[in-house]
Amino acid sequence: MEMNEIIEKVNEVLVDEFEVEIDTIKPDANLRETLDLDSLDYVDLVVAIESISGVKLGEEDFKGIETFQDFYDVLHSKVAEKQD
Amino acid sequence: MKYALVTGGSRGIGSAICEILAKNTDYNILINYNSNKVAAEKTLKLVESHGTKGEIISFNVADKESVDSTLDNWQKNNPDAWIEVLVNNAGINKDGLFMWMKEEDWSNVVNTSLNGFYNVTQFVIQKMLRKRYGRIVNMVSVSGVKGTPGQTNYSAAKGGVVAATKALAQEVAKRNITVNAVAPGFIKTDMTSELDENELVKLVPANRFGEAWEVAELVNFLVSKNASYITGEIVNINGGIYS
Repeated sequence: MEMNEIIEKVNEVLVDEFEVEIDTIKPDANLRETLDLDSLDYVDLVVAIESISGVKLGEEDFKGIETFQDFYDVLHSKVAEKQD
Repeated sequence: MKYALVTGGSRGIGSAICEILAKNTDYNILINYNSNKVAAEKTLKLVESHGTKGEIISFNVADKESVDSTLDNWQKNNPDAWIEVLVNNAGINKDGLFMWMKEEDWSNVVNTSLNGFYNVTQFVIQKMLRKRYGRIVNMVSVSGVKGTPGQTNYSAAKGGVVAATKALAQEVAKRNITVNAVAPGFIKTDMTSELDENELVKLVPANRFGEAWEVAELVNFLVSKNASYITGEIVNINGGIYS
């Protein structure tokens, strides 16, 4: 999956899953605050991302993720890893 | 379809839980067993005699890989199924004085009775969290609360589950998942069949051993919607032997 496809699909599923406005999802916005994630909400995020990408994110993957762009980057490299 | 999974459901208290839940609730019953298929089939018949759908599913709770692959396959074959109730009942004992206890007797008991809790719950809770509802009941024992001489391994394993029950309950309470433990004393089952009942009954204020169905009725209440504000609790059921 190319980066632009990842961004599009991720944003779509996040709007749906976390009931946020698409305008609030900006590359430099804070992921956790924007989606109002508590620690247990990550289970929903992991399942949602797995459904669109086939990649199952683990706790380690979220370390260092602050913004949506960080999140896209991690996912992009995980998808690429999976394809190799 | 909503399911109640009872590990170690083929015999004793587990079998009674399967039957009482089949009789009193709308859940389909998923009866886990490890070694005794004949007993599991017998429990399945009891479940079906109440007009309830049941299935038997074989895995060793101590083996994380087997738990994951078996439940994963089952879930793939039953995409609409949701395990809303989990009763962690599978357990073994290997009694003996601690000074003589072999390392394998320690490990085997801890692997089944404590790690089994982790292995099965870790799989099942993912969907409960997604669905924002669940009931988990861990079968512990008076040994895990007060400690029983000759059962240092079993007491340690069950005591571990007691603490895990309290911790996990707090983690997931916000998602309407309750986690409780039931701590039976002397109950008439295969596990206690070799004990000297006439002698031990003198220790029990109620002056008798308990019946498996009495424990099952308590589990039935804890998994019901009516028990929604009870979580992180260890409920003793022991005829007054310890409180």
